[in-house]
Amino acid sequence: MSSVTFEHVYKRFGDVVAVNDLSIEVEDKEFLVFVGPSGCGKTTSLRLLAGLEEISDGQILIGDRIVNDVPPKDRDIAMVFQSYALYPHMSVYDNMAFGLKLRKTPKSQIDERVKVAAGLLGIEQLLDRKPKQLSGGQRQRVAVGRAIVREPAVFLFDEPLSNLDAKLRVETRANISKLHKRLATTFIYVTHDQVEAMTMASRIAVMKDGILQQIDSPQDLYDNPANVFVGGFIGSPSMNFFDATLVESDGKLEINTGGFRLEVPAEKAKEWRAFAGKPVIFGIRPEDIHAKQFAPPNILESDMDAKVDVTELMGNEIFLYLMSKDNKQFIARVDPRVRVSNDDKIDLAVNMANAHIFDPKTETSLA
Amino acid sequence: MTINSAELPTPKMSASSAGKPTGFSLPRMLLNIVLAFWAALVVFPMLWLLYTSFKTDKEIFFSPWSLPAALQWDNYVRGWVDAHIGDYFLNSFIVVLPSLALILGLSAMTAYVLARFPFPGNRIIFYGFMAGMLFPVFLALIPLFFLVKDLGMLNSFPGLILVYTAYSLPFSVFFLTGFFKTLPSELHEAAIIDGANQFQVFFRVMLPLAQPGLLSIGIFNFLGMWNQYLLPLVLMSDAKHYVLTQGLAYMLHQQYYQNDWSALFAAVSMIMIPTLLVYSIFQSQIQKGITVGALKG
Repeated sequence: MSSVTFEHVYKRFGDVVAVNDLSIEVEDKEFLVFVGPSGCGKTTSLRLLAGLEEISDGQILIGDRIVNDVPPKDRDIAMVFQSYALYPHMSVYDNMAFGLKLRKTPKSQIDERVKVAAGLLGIEQLLDRKPKQLSGGQRQRVAVGRAIVREPAVFLFDEPLSNLDAKLRVETRANISKLHKRLATTFIYVTHDQVEAMTMASRIAVMKDGILQQIDSPQDLYDNPANVFVGGFIGSPSMNFFDATLVESDGKLEINTGGFRLEVPAEKAKEWRAFAGKPVIFGIRPEDIHAKQFAPPNILESDMDAKVDVTELMGNEIFLYLMSKDNKQFIARVDPRVRVSNDDKIDLAVNMANAHIFDPKTETSLA
Repeated sequence: MTINSAELPTPKMSASSAGKPTGFSLPRMLLNIVLAFWAALVVFPMLWLLYTSFKTDKEIFFSPWSLPAALQWDNYVRGWVDAHIGDYFLNSFIVVLPSLALILGLSAMTAYVLARFPFPGNRIIFYGFMAGMLFPVFLALIPLFFLVKDLGMLNSFPGLILVYTAYSLPFSVFFLTGFFKTLPSELHEAAIIDGANQFQVFFRVMLPLAQPGLLSIGIFNFLGMWNQYLLPLVLMSDAKHYVLTQGLAYMLHQQYYQNDWSALFAAVSMIMIPTLLVYSIFQSQIQKGITVGALKG
């Protein structure tokens, strides 16, 4: 059990800066998820922490100890690799016991720890098998088991679910969350899948181009994205963005995208008035655009209309691909009772309480 | 290890022939005839050698194709004892086995480092080994003779072992470097995090995984060294130290003065046995090894 601290950490590969001034404090027993598109530096950050890469600048602490020059084996960490990296020539038991054997742990203790971990993961009956005799899900559990027996201060996961099929992934996701509660240890987890991040993390660190964009709890990240990238990356289908201007006329504030005008309700206008007359990027999530007819009560409603381009029926909801008057496509997630065909006009109610505006130059959130 | 025909790669058949394997097809029949002829061409001399080795000299000369009237086991005794095949066998093993151990040990370690660790000069060393492969042994023969002579190792087993080892390293390193490169780097990293040092990573994780590669390279080298004639011919002039190939040539020359053809046939049959055994036991491994070298080397 340990906290982890990144202090102004840099990693450069030649001219490429893979990790750029990363500063994060991960609390003891926290489940931190690094998320971002491929090449964003999330895996590199994890490898820096594991000691598999040397940091170019800054320092990393595990607990109170600076580990910059500490070899991986002495960092008190265990890692689960994307490919699981099980030793193919060893049985499941030996795979799990390997680290303990190298540390000259007494045999009886190795045996006990392996059995306990195997019981925890439901792989007792597989201990004599070789990795190639296991299914993908079983291998994944063995890889986790190998980490558990070491009883490390910090668990590192590098996209451990990406080689599993969709159903198994959902199941394993829940199991890892349970494991975290049960072991009460710091988990640091890397994924490109925002659903994994949202469902498991106590906090999410969103990265892009080696730079930390935002670190927050899943709900805060979702509700208050710090910039356009985070807004677009978290949530599926992703947030709609429009180049717009905030216009004030007759004491009323309006978002004008050229394709539609939305009145900003008084409550929101208090926050946004400061940017009146300025260009902004207007962001609204698909689930905050309702068919007017089925709009829920108690939202800060503002009305508009659009042409239906494509409809995708999901059963419990409908994804509408809509076209504004200036031919800009955006998506709405509407009630399944909505009956529209392509090219129909539809009246929409937008919940402005959850609308966002961003600075068009810096793309950071304005309010 | 037995050879299971199901494990061997079968040539892909065209859709039509695969669809009706029992049907008559002229090209297929022609192919089978050619292959059968070829097989006979290869197998018959060996069979002939084998059954001739049980005949008397008289039978060999007067009815060369007939089967032996009675099995002359005595031929084998004379071949083994009088013609010193037993000694030559021993000498060959004394030279080949330590060479093999040295080659496997050294080339695995060299190849692992060259494949896994980028360091300045890595490529230079690798291409140095490659250059060794390009150099025909005939060109090196005379300088090699003087080198071994100056080292005082002419007519000694250690001398020949060293030369064999040096001679086989380039290809072995080249082959195993390709092999080690195919092993996933995550295994290395996982072992490091598990607490292994570089030696433990190599000996406990990487080397066991390289077994198929080591086996292939071991077989190739064994066959190559077992059949090597030129190097011992130049470096081992003392008849006491003759290896099998030299012994065989020596016996052949002796036939000009003393006629014991039946013993010669028996001796040749015995010499074939280790090579045949290696081939038949490791047949699938040899095929696999060739593919690994071809695709990933």
